[in-house]
Amino acid sequence: MIKAVMMMNTQGKPRLAKFYDYTPVEKQQELIRGVFSVLCSRPENVSNFLEIDSLFGPDSRLVYKHYATLYFVLVFDGSENELAMLDLIQVLVETLDKCFSNVCELDIVFNYSKMHAVLDEIVFGGQVLETSSAEVMKAVEEISKLEAASNSISLVPKSVSGWRGR
Amino acid sequence: MSGMRGLSVFISDIRNCQNKEAERLRVDKELGNIRTCFKNEKVLTPYKKKKYVWKMLYIHMLGYDVDFGHMEAVSLISAPKYPEKQVGYIVTSCLLNENHDFLRLAINTVRNDIIGRNETFQCLALTLVGNIGGRDFSESLAPDVQKLLISSSCRPLVRKKAALCLLRLFRKNPDAVNVDGWADRMAQLLDERDLGVLTSSTSLLVALVSNNHEAYSSCLPKCVKILERLARNQDVPQEYTYYGIPSPWLQVKAMRALQYFPTIEDPSTRKALFEVLQRILMGTDVVKNVNKNNASHAVLFEALSLVMHLDAEKEMMSQCVALLGKFISVREPNIRYLGLENMTRMLMVTDVQDIIKKHQSQIITSLKDPDISIRRRALDLLYGMCDVSNAKDIVEELLQYLSTAEFSMREELSLKAAILAEKFAPDLSWYVDVILQLIDKAGDFVSDDIWFRVVQFVTNNEDLQPYAASKAREYLDKIAIHETMLKVSAYILGEYGHLLARQPGCSASELFSILHEKLPTVSTPTIPILLSTYAKLLMHTQPPDPELQKKIWAVFKKYESCIDVEIQQRAVEYFELSKKGAAFMDVLAEMPKFPERQSSLIRKAEDVEDTADQSAIKLRAQQQPSNALVLADPQPVDGAPPPLKVPIVSGSTNPESVARSVSQAYGTLSSIDPQTPSPDLLSDLLGPLAIEAAPGAVSTEQHGPIGAEGVPEEVDGSAIVPVEEQTNSVELIGNIAERFHALCLKDSGVLYEDPHIQIGIKAEWRGQHGRLVLFMGNKNTSPLTSVQALILPPAHLKLDLSPVPDTIPPRAQVQSPLEVMNIRPSRDVAVLDFSYKFGTNMVNAKLRIPATLNKFLQPLQLTSEEFFPQWRALSGPPLKLQEVVRGVRPLALPEMANLFNSFHVTICPGLDPNPNNLVASTTFYSESTGAMLCLARIETDPADRTQLRMTVGSGDPALTFELKEFIKEQLITIPMGSRALVPAAGPGPAPAPPVAQPPSPAALADDPGALLAGLL
Repeated sequence: MIKAVMMMNTQGKPRLAKFYDYTPVEKQQELIRGVFSVLCSRPENVSNFLEIDSLFGPDSRLVYKHYATLYFVLVFDGSENELAMLDLIQVLVETLDKCFSNVCELDIVFNYSKMHAVLDEIVFGGQVLETSSAEVMKAVEEISKLEAASNSISLVPKSVSGWRGR
Repeated sequence: MSGMRGLSVFISDIRNCQNKEAERLRVDKELGNIRTCFKNEKVLTPYKKKKYVWKMLYIHMLGYDVDFGHMEAVSLISAPKYPEKQVGYIVTSCLLNENHDFLRLAINTVRNDIIGRNETFQCLALTLVGNIGGRDFSESLAPDVQKLLISSSCRPLVRKKAALCLLRLFRKNPDAVNVDGWADRMAQLLDERDLGVLTSSTSLLVALVSNNHEAYSSCLPKCVKILERLARNQDVPQEYTYYGIPSPWLQVKAMRALQYFPTIEDPSTRKALFEVLQRILMGTDVVKNVNKNNASHAVLFEALSLVMHLDAEKEMMSQCVALLGKFISVREPNIRYLGLENMTRMLMVTDVQDIIKKHQSQIITSLKDPDISIRRRALDLLYGMCDVSNAKDIVEELLQYLSTAEFSMREELSLKAAILAEKFAPDLSWYVDVILQLIDKAGDFVSDDIWFRVVQFVTNNEDLQPYAASKAREYLDKIAIHETMLKVSAYILGEYGHLLARQPGCSASELFSILHEKLPTVSTPTIPILLSTYAKLLMHTQPPDPELQKKIWAVFKKYESCIDVEIQQRAVEYFELSKKGAAFMDVLAEMPKFPERQSSLIRKAEDVEDTADQSAIKLRAQQQPSNALVLADPQPVDGAPPPLKVPIVSGSTNPESVARSVSQAYGTLSSIDPQTPSPDLLSDLLGPLAIEAAPGAVSTEQHGPIGAEGVPEEVDGSAIVPVEEQTNSVELIGNIAERFHALCLKDSGVLYEDPHIQIGIKAEWRGQHGRLVLFMGNKNTSPLTSVQALILPPAHLKLDLSPVPDTIPPRAQVQSPLEVMNIRPSRDVAVLDFSYKFGTNMVNAKLRIPATLNKFLQPLQLTSEEFFPQWRALSGPPLKLQEVVRGVRPLALPEMANLFNSFHVTICPGLDPNPNNLVASTTFYSESTGAMLCLARIETDPADRTQLRMTVGSGDPALTFELKEFIKEQLITIPMGSRALVPAAGPGPAPAPPVAQPPSPAALADDPGALLAGLL
């Protein structure tokens, strides 16, 4: 099971964090800081794996990828395959790339809500939901369309918008 | 998602904040704004609500607690329009946990969305349930979710979510899938064409089979089918082909599911599977493209696990090991890492150890890899593959690596080296060499267990003693040696130094002077060991050396009045004993051998490996009788006895000792005295002398109760005390009790101080509220870690301590505010349980917080017109209590008046006609009593100042009693005196003792050392 998905920039500022076991906000911050303090000391061209038992308890693993100014981090337990998790980060990033055409940190910062929508289409309750970025894009575009539609008809009476929603 | 200008503006405001403080201000402003809007605007437009709720989530991510607005987030779930509903679902699943009450309120709305016909709403609802649904949801929604999953009319988008949602519900409540025929439906689901639904369903299957594989045996061939379909690349759409590989995730999941079935019996299924596996093993190459590499190796490593699980024929196994051998030398670090990890797992498979050993040199190279993750894996693998044949090489590599390893690894490294040296030593002198080198190179990281163990071996093996003694002597010649090394050397030379007597530089007086040279630099726990060594040296000097005797007696004399009880006791006792001649010889005779027992080190290592783990390979390891550690046990090849077996000396059949070793095997319940309840006590008082025979033996003569044959056992009980970390090995600066008493009367000062840290306190009091700030200052140039501060509040106080950071940087001070509210009158005291780690030492202190009753008093001076009507209105018990107090500290009347004034009970002069009496008043504040007037009258007897009559009254019986007892305590004890201990606590529970824990009564009864400590 995936325990957490985190994105943070190279200064340690969280950009997106989602924990799949309930974690109080202070604990979340502690974990993010803890992960960052290890990540920022790692050189380039080393493995993408980290021993993380001291932060997340026994049998937890962490993979990360470093893209430009961002770290993408997945924490999970022994029931997942490490390299498959690494691939999942790649899927997430490729999807974001399609969403924002050449994604950069600013896109992620200012499209906070969209980030959540994308992530929810890839990881669901700590399980891998979808691995095809084309499928994820389809789902996300559908959501965007719904929103746009709903915005443009916001003056139309409720019954009609309900009808459109069907 | 689009068009939320407010959110964008807020985010860029946050981005523009120059520092954390500015950010906090901006966030607070926004939170205040949102709060007011939620409160004041009766009808918020959905758009505004949505905007605010997104801001809340953003603030939450930044690390601020958002403790309101949850209702608004939940209420958005029932909004009719998609954008609001969406944000309601997303934010609710981020902010609330599964037990939140609001969530129960939403359960019907969620269900309506799930059974409704709007697919987008279904998706949102499923996502919420899949993320935070609890048991309630499981009970009411499982059938609906099942229906969605197997429905043929639903889109894959909904069905794949339903599959994972059901997985969550199953985890919360296994009955969620407890319906007839579910296993068959599950098998049908695995025939699915859509790879998205299939991936989710396979995840669900993994969860189900890990719980009960028998019920789902019909799914096994289906998994193999899926693998075949993917391996042949049949019917795999382009979007599920990842860098040319047909859905690696699904391949991995299907193979994972197969690892939960114990075997595959059907021969044709087995054959088909092995064909697929063979294809994967052979057909994977390391290529340029990193992503393709990762994906193909994800599949490959999963295939390796499955092969190991299936106990394939030897040919396939050696093929796997060969592959792994290739992996651990490739350039790609991820593959190197996983290669090492999987090789470690491979050790569990029989018959491949020899093939793995061929890669030993490559593995040792990995110990020098630039990546710490890889070095760790290499260390694990070397540890696992070590046996008699390669122990020397591996341990020597580890020792070499120790000098360059990073600090975070040294402790583990030294423990592992010590364990391997012990388990596989080809000869004992090598073992002694290794441990001494270990202490020399990494003394800070060598736990006491390690040096206790080497002492035990030396004691039990006569052949080894001269060698160990001469080695110990050699290390003493080094200019700077680690304190642990000094401890071992002193102990060994005390016991066996006389065996070297004829060698140059090893006479008793030379040994004494070289050891004594080091004494000024050592810490308190080492001094008692040195004293014992001196006593032993003195005893072994035959014929007696008056010169040496004079020197050693001078040392004993010097420590006779040492402030440290342990040192003082030893000095006094050795001095007295050494005057007794023959008796001295008996008492200080060589230590008897230790009974054999499981090494505490090895036990420690096994504990570490025992962590629960549900992964398939571990489960399997548990089913198998062997694991890496056991396998590697030194089975003597040539029938010679195993090298480290130690003759069983005393009482292995003695039930008591068996019981004791059993109790040891189960944890830290090991001690000098079976009744001693606290391991803390041991490390406090006896830690430094644990290895010694002397104290127990010394006391036989003086205190009698310990039987002669009890001595060796007791000593061995303590010799290898599995104390995880030595606690409280710091010397305190100042007396904690005195500091506390001083702080009871003033509002700022030092609460605690030791060589590493100073804790100061500053307090402000207003009515029943108090605000204290704890100032924790690190006095060192290295950080203090694992800092923890926990408040143990008594029932009458509400205390709220802001979190204390885990680490205090060098020379830094951190402040932690503590809010106090007094609920009702009581004299109980809150305790701060404070601990930190310095180096490997864990220091723990229990400190009373000076939030005492008097802090909630406010001085109040009354005139006689105000006083007497009130005094008369309080008619008698329980509101007015009178007591004659004896044993009062004699005080002149003005001094007593000052004392009262100092704890805010104001003396009202001239009210009482009798000049020997005092009348006083004050106001007490608490939540239950509010502000309450308290009156008191003290009648003293000029003839006998040690007794007085006291009358206390107030409008609350509990307050009257508590205040009376409080005043009594102040009058009887000497709060500022130099010998203040815990105040005589009256009838109430005694406040928790300060750091130096007085020994428990049980220990007092039997242990003279503890008795003496208690008295002092």
